Amino acid sequence: MSTPPATPARAREPFDRKLARGVQAVTGRTLAPYQSAIVRIGFSLTWLLYLLRELPHRHQLYGPDGPWSWELAQRLIADNRAFTVLMWSDGRIWFEFVYGAAVLSAVLLLVGWRTRAVSVVFMVGVLSLLNRSIFVGDGGDNVLHLAAIYLVFTRCGRVWSLDARRAAREARAESAGEPPRRDVVGPLLWTVLGGFLLAATWFSDVSGEWWVMVLLWVLWLGNGLWWLVCRLAPGEPRTLLDALANLAHNGVLVVLMVEVCLIYATAGWYKIQGSRWQDGTALYYPLHLDYFSPWPGLSDLLGASGIMVMLLSYGTVIVQVAFPFTLFNRRVKNVLLVAMMLEHAGIAVLLGLPVFSLAMISADAVFLPTAFLVALGTGATRGRDRLLRRTPAGTAPAETLPEQRRTGEEHGPRTLVG
Amino acid sequence: MDAYVEKDAVEVSDDGRRPPEDPPVTPREAPDHEAPEDPVDAGTEGSGGSAGTTGPGTGIMALSMPYQVVVAVALAVAGVFACVHLAMVFLHVAPSNTLTKRHGEAVGDWIYPEFEQNWKLFAPNPLQMNISLEVRAELATADGGHRTTGWIDLTAQDIEAIRHNPMPSHAQQNQLRRAVDFYLNTHTDDGRPNGSRSTFSEQYMRRLAMQRLYALEGSDGRALGPDTRRIQIRTVTRPVPAARWSDEKARTNPGYRQFPWWTITETDRSVGDRASRTEAGR
Repeated sequence: MSTPPATPARAREPFDRKLARGVQAVTGRTLAPYQSAIVRIGFSLTWLLYLLRELPHRHQLYGPDGPWSWELAQRLIADNRAFTVLMWSDGRIWFEFVYGAAVLSAVLLLVGWRTRAVSVVFMVGVLSLLNRSIFVGDGGDNVLHLAAIYLVFTRCGRVWSLDARRAAREARAESAGEPPRRDVVGPLLWTVLGGFLLAATWFSDVSGEWWVMVLLWVLWLGNGLWWLVCRLAPGEPRTLLDALANLAHNGVLVVLMVEVCLIYATAGWYKIQGSRWQDGTALYYPLHLDYFSPWPGLSDLLGASGIMVMLLSYGTVIVQVAFPFTLFNRRVKNVLLVAMMLEHAGIAVLLGLPVFSLAMISADAVFLPTAFLVALGTGATRGRDRLLRRTPAGTAPAETLPEQRRTGEEHGPRTLVG
Repeated sequence: MDAYVEKDAVEVSDDGRRPPEDPPVTPREAPDHEAPEDPVDAGTEGSGGSAGTTGPGTGIMALSMPYQVVVAVALAVAGVFACVHLAMVFLHVAPSNTLTKRHGEAVGDWIYPEFEQNWKLFAPNPLQMNISLEVRAELATADGGHRTTGWIDLTAQDIEAIRHNPMPSHAQQNQLRRAVDFYLNTHTDDGRPNGSRSTFSEQYMRRLAMQRLYALEGSDGRALGPDTRRIQIRTVTRPVPAARWSDEKARTNPGYRQFPWWTITETDRSVGDRASRTEAGR
């Protein structure tokens, strides 16, 4: 299950050696770069689609004059101490700014621009809006809320991101002996976010629990420290920070995986106790709830067969209960993963819950096999290249193509060089 | 030990294929890692694809003793923290048990508000009835008297918006539905408040109702909202009819629950103006 060449010898390896190897792995490597990237892409896409969809309803859901008024939210938040920057002001402009920043952060996180900083802005946006009106959410908002917090700790921009592309470009320039270009955007972004952080500290009475503020400060100072260390002390201090960042990334990824298992375990085990899931009729009911049947004809069709309803009801429970245990067998896990993703795709259409489903699929994606993700990335790159090649737009494609191909296909030869 | 646990769990996840063959970014970094690589890259980010990963130049093995101690301590802290967090989340989603009965407050302090979660999706049993919210309004008339409207089904408006809609809005699918849940949970069967948040749910309900009334027109073509002095709500519960293939005899007649009349205040009304615009936007 672990590093392939070591498998036969591993049983005989003494415990302390294994421990040392494990410690080296969690501090020296950013594990699962593709999985963390697909989770990042999945959740930022979910949030982006949600925000765009709710654009006409944004005042109704989160605005200061919505039914859940600013005053009501303020009284509730004074009690539950949830984090939101929307309590800083009841002004319309501030609300529009926060909503706009949330949309922007979703786009930037999707393409992986300055991932470390943008993921924090993304989290602030998610928490601010969702905590502002907790009575309009569903399970999808819930999982997004958790994922936004966890993503902040991960190095989710190592692949499939503008960050990765920029890093590759800089490495190329360096190996070609060119002098490093001066990065202006990074420090500028850091300074601007520092200004907001000062404001957040000023408003910390109404911004939520203390630990969120501490977290924001630690992240901001950490990023500043990283920059300084890279310039002034690129030896051991830099390796230390790198190890700490790896540690946080790897640890939080485990937390995220267990979180997904807990979600399915809870959903499955509680269902087992329900009489409707026992007699195999459960699925019939959601299909006939007005709020969850956008396509009544389709729902009727599926609910018309008692056997079909039973098979799907039992199948759902079996898959949900079994999933955590199948992690010990890669093949069975992948089969169940496909089953769950298909079921969520079905839920998206049948029950009219596309945002919820996309959020759940994004969470599931943390368990996708690396080989599949790499193939997916190569396929996507090739498809994009083909599309770009077809566009008759003069010189632009010729200029961009080599670079894009390099990110996807040329990493094989590069590994040999390394 | 923590390290060991973490490591294994991570490896389970990505199927052990990861390390030697696939990292596309990192190998480029590895060779020139000794050099103070790309200091300009950093800016506000820790990752940015810099920070070499594989190879001898990284991780705890590449550090001297004092730094190793720092990493070891961080590892221990992170391990303990992750375990405690996962234990708390587990206890939060688990049914009430010996531990949560004794230490429920500690679990709640850790979890709320940011890590709250509920995954009892359609469990233990799915909801088996359609609950509608209806409202009627007492309007002031021009001659100084008043008249009462018939019952207006607000849920039906939501359902109409959801029908044949591939991506229903939370404003249609969740807002009123969950507001009714919230109201019913904070009130007794005869509509008396039974919790500290009852007043919130009452005001929320009034504002939701007023917003809809502002968007509706009476028989005389005037919006109902501005003339409304008092409102009353009721819930109508219709059990999902038994399936054709089932031999069950489900109750089919609707159940009504009527709640007290509320006088509308200016606070309840402030949602109105915006309402007509939002409704128009739908």
